[in-house]
Amino acid sequence: MERNTRRNFIRKLGATVGAAGVVGGTSILSSCNSVETSSGDKIKLLTSSGELVEVDKSQLTPAEMPNLSENQKRGREGLPGRSWVMVIDLSKCRNARECMKACQNHHQLRPEQHHINVLQMQDAEHTAPYYMPKPCQHCDNPPCTKVCPVNATFKRNDGIVLIDNERCIGCRFCIAACPYSARVFNWFEPRDAEKYKGVTYNIEANVPQKKGTISKCLFSADRLRDGKLPSCVSACPNGVYWFGDRNEDAVTNGTTKETVSFSKLIKDNAAYTLMEELGTKPRVYYLPPKDRAFPFEGDLIEHHS
Amino acid sequence: MKTKVNRLMIGILMFLALPGMGQDWQVPADQLNIENPSSYNLENVKKGKDLYLQNCKSCHGDPGKNNHLPLVPPPPDITSEQMQANTDGGLFYKITKGRGGMPQFETTISADDRWRLINFIRNYNSEKEQLLIDAPPVNAKILASVNEAEKKVEILAEYEDKSGSYQQLENAPVFISAKKAFGNLLLGQALTDKNGRSVFSVPETVIGDEEGNVTIVVTLDENYKAEQVVLEEAKVGKPKEVPQLIRKEVLWSTNENVQIWLLLSYLGAAGAAWIAIGYVIFQLIKIKRFSKQ
Amino acid sequence: MNTIKSPEESRKVLDTIFSDLTRSITHKDELTRFWFFILIMFAGVGLWGWIIQIDQGLGVTGMRDYVSWGMYIANFVFFVAISLIGFLISSALHLLKISWSKPISRVAEQIAIAGVALAGIIIVMDMGRPDRFLNVFLHGRFASPIIWDVTVVTTYLTISALLFYLPLIPDLALLRDRMTGKVPAWKLKIYTILALGWKGNPEQYKTVYHAMRILMILIIPVGLSIHTVTSWLFAATLRSGWDTTIMGPYFVAGAFVAGAAAVVILMYIYRLRYGLKNYFEDFHFDYMGKLLVFVSLVYLYFNINEFLVPGYKMKTAEGVHLQNLFTGAFASMFWLVQVAGLIIPILLMLIKFFRKPLPLTIISVVVLIAAWFKRYLIVIPTMEHPFLPVQNVPDYFKSYAPTSIEIMITLFSVFAALLIITILAKLFPVITIWEYAEEKGVDKKYFSEQPKN
Repeated sequence: MERNTRRNFIRKLGATVGAAGVVGGTSILSSCNSVETSSGDKIKLLTSSGELVEVDKSQLTPAEMPNLSENQKRGREGLPGRSWVMVIDLSKCRNARECMKACQNHHQLRPEQHHINVLQMQDAEHTAPYYMPKPCQHCDNPPCTKVCPVNATFKRNDGIVLIDNERCIGCRFCIAACPYSARVFNWFEPRDAEKYKGVTYNIEANVPQKKGTISKCLFSADRLRDGKLPSCVSACPNGVYWFGDRNEDAVTNGTTKETVSFSKLIKDNAAYTLMEELGTKPRVYYLPPKDRAFPFEGDLIEHHS
Repeated sequence: MKTKVNRLMIGILMFLALPGMGQDWQVPADQLNIENPSSYNLENVKKGKDLYLQNCKSCHGDPGKNNHLPLVPPPPDITSEQMQANTDGGLFYKITKGRGGMPQFETTISADDRWRLINFIRNYNSEKEQLLIDAPPVNAKILASVNEAEKKVEILAEYEDKSGSYQQLENAPVFISAKKAFGNLLLGQALTDKNGRSVFSVPETVIGDEEGNVTIVVTLDENYKAEQVVLEEAKVGKPKEVPQLIRKEVLWSTNENVQIWLLLSYLGAAGAAWIAIGYVIFQLIKIKRFSKQ
Repeated sequence: MNTIKSPEESRKVLDTIFSDLTRSITHKDELTRFWFFILIMFAGVGLWGWIIQIDQGLGVTGMRDYVSWGMYIANFVFFVAISLIGFLISSALHLLKISWSKPISRVAEQIAIAGVALAGIIIVMDMGRPDRFLNVFLHGRFASPIIWDVTVVTTYLTISALLFYLPLIPDLALLRDRMTGKVPAWKLKIYTILALGWKGNPEQYKTVYHAMRILMILIIPVGLSIHTVTSWLFAATLRSGWDTTIMGPYFVAGAFVAGAAAVVILMYIYRLRYGLKNYFEDFHFDYMGKLLVFVSLVYLYFNINEFLVPGYKMKTAEGVHLQNLFTGAFASMFWLVQVAGLIIPILLMLIKFFRKPLPLTIISVVVLIAAWFKRYLIVIPTMEHPFLPVQNVPDYFKSYAPTSIEIMITLFSVFAALLIITILAKLFPVITIWEYAEEKGVDKKYFSEQPKN
């Protein structure tokens, strides 16, 4: 069922590159036009899994991947007809943190930067503690885009709140405005800044990260465009995440790949959204941590404040 | 910073230690020899299989295929010696309590059902009679078409007999799903009649694309090896509603969608102030002009 | 206004006033040079800190993902606050026909210009990408409080500069006519150009009064906006401690306290340094003391509202925030600011003795320092306590402490503000000469006369 057009295009020096079935360096070469001559010029390519590979320039063919301004335009429009939602089943989370690792890899984050953060929660003094993965809530009434002075963070029609780091001025008003602490800032040069130097900015993955600008979870918008589930959803070994299009009322589990009705899932399990009293209308739904699959083994209990 | 590193180191050590710990997963002695109260019969094994597919397969994989998830420690195949070496009581304890990556099913699966699961595992024990036989899948093929007017899917299923010719597949379940963004959503199933035919009425609640087109996927169960039939864009569903999220007149909208009152207040206030400032600057020019009188 | 004096007396009074009030311009000694040296050196060190910050990233500060606004923003709010006094003294009191404050208006305007100019610079220094500053104009979103803030800051700076300049024009003519040979040629040239060829004819005075009246009215909404909009940078968020409706007036009242204290200090320095005992008189300090008590009482009233009402309810997140202020990590700073910086000064200034120049100045210094820490208390504790627990980050993410680079850059702003004030005082009289002379009964016609010698 997987589309065979898993593509990732990176543009450099005016040459656009198409590579199908990106897994490792060799598969890139085999899938490109087989021009035997080598020009000796190497080009850096970013695979969808976040790996950086070097390819000979002569072996690349121009493809339909847009340049930066096209990419920004496309990134602002979003995927037509979609309305992405995530459902997080708190009863399944055992703090394996595979989601955090996959996310940091995909978005080139430093170890202390989290687009998704698995928190140890306890709602009140005597209630049971539980693990809570917390991505950006992609609010439908987003307090962060409200305050952005330059329209660098914005809401797309498919529900995703995205950031344009070619425009962000680094005022950090959005961090102050976000009640979910979902945003991070590049206080220093980002991880592997040297390595990704010259790689064209991809707004839908927010890579390469840029010093002095904001970053946060984007539901892996670049992967969604390729028909793939977000990095964290795919990486989870415990079936915590469901992800899908609310308009077609279906969500798919990242671990079991099972597809179920979104409305039935959230109704049957009495789903809730985080801090709904704030009126932010999150797009991330939580299934309560009832009948937990794993015992809580945390050590960092802090009272929910 | 240092404590963080230490914690990380402990974490890594524990992680490395887990496989070893996994191999000698101690079961309390009093639990070890509890006998399975549920009897080993086809009904219980079948129920156990359903439970297995629902709760265990995602990690342990299909029985005998060694296609479990690559976790550390690896979740063993249920047909493996490692699995079968457990006593019934030991398996019950492990399913109940869980450990590391293995969930605790104490609260989610009833004790009776956990015992039934063990019956299903024992189906693959060399010392027991295999009640549920996994025959190699039979080659089959599906023909399907959509009646858009009546919103029905008409299906014809055939299987390959020993002579290699295709016969009508009788009394077999056919699964009808709708293709969604990341997977197929099961709409329902239908049984074939003695002619190998069945008709499935698409429920009215099925949501298609903006025009109501649904891509329907028809499959047989795992006893048959048949290529699934994909019926592209059949007009049998409700058109999906695409709400306009980027609304006008919300504070978070872009300048293109800015509220009129906000734009007018801002431009009005700033404009008025700067017109007044401009007027004062004009007064300065006037002062200069008066100097020449 | 005093009785009309004879021409000789008028000329004599004018000459005295002129020589007294231009002493700040002509006065030159080692101390002046040393003061300039200190200011430029520290401002330079701060700029060097900023270069390091641009090079290495904002990570050289103590700010991190949770406390993402730190000392810079607190300092920004402080500078916006002290600048608001220009609006109160040179406009509001003028329009109310309160004449004692007239000699003080230029001091207030000096503070206003320096404060708001530095506020603008600090906000650029706080940006992660100062190189993209122009995006604010290219892609500005009308719905963002930052855009409103940029708008009011530039507007207020322009109005303050004009309000400083307009009453200065006749003075500049005086300086142009009377300072030949006493000041370097470049200074004289500045006076000549800026005086716009002032002749002192009635139309010109009429135009000055007219333009000033417009500015004084205009500065009321703009002045209130600048601090209200600054408060909205906080109040427009959902965070505990900021999510409150009285933020606007609370900030405005606090601004008057800080600004009035700054004016008292500057008045005292001018009085001492330039021998202006007869100009910044004891009664000026007395009145300023009364003004300071009044605005402090208003501010105290807002403080009670701001802390008692949520403290009474102790809503979850709000409760954590308040506990942190009352008894937690910020308790000592909080109570020092409230008691030593507000309550004790109010009690002292109710006594006439403490409204004498020296005691009042000492109190003002305490009030001003407390006002700075008050801004710190508004910004940082809220950021240290987000709604969700802070986990999986290094410990230094969890609480904020400014780094030396941050302190350097903050000191830069203080010294740069003092530098602006010093330059203004060294170029232009600190009290409007013509207004003051007129107040003393000297007719306007004498202003345009050339001195005899």
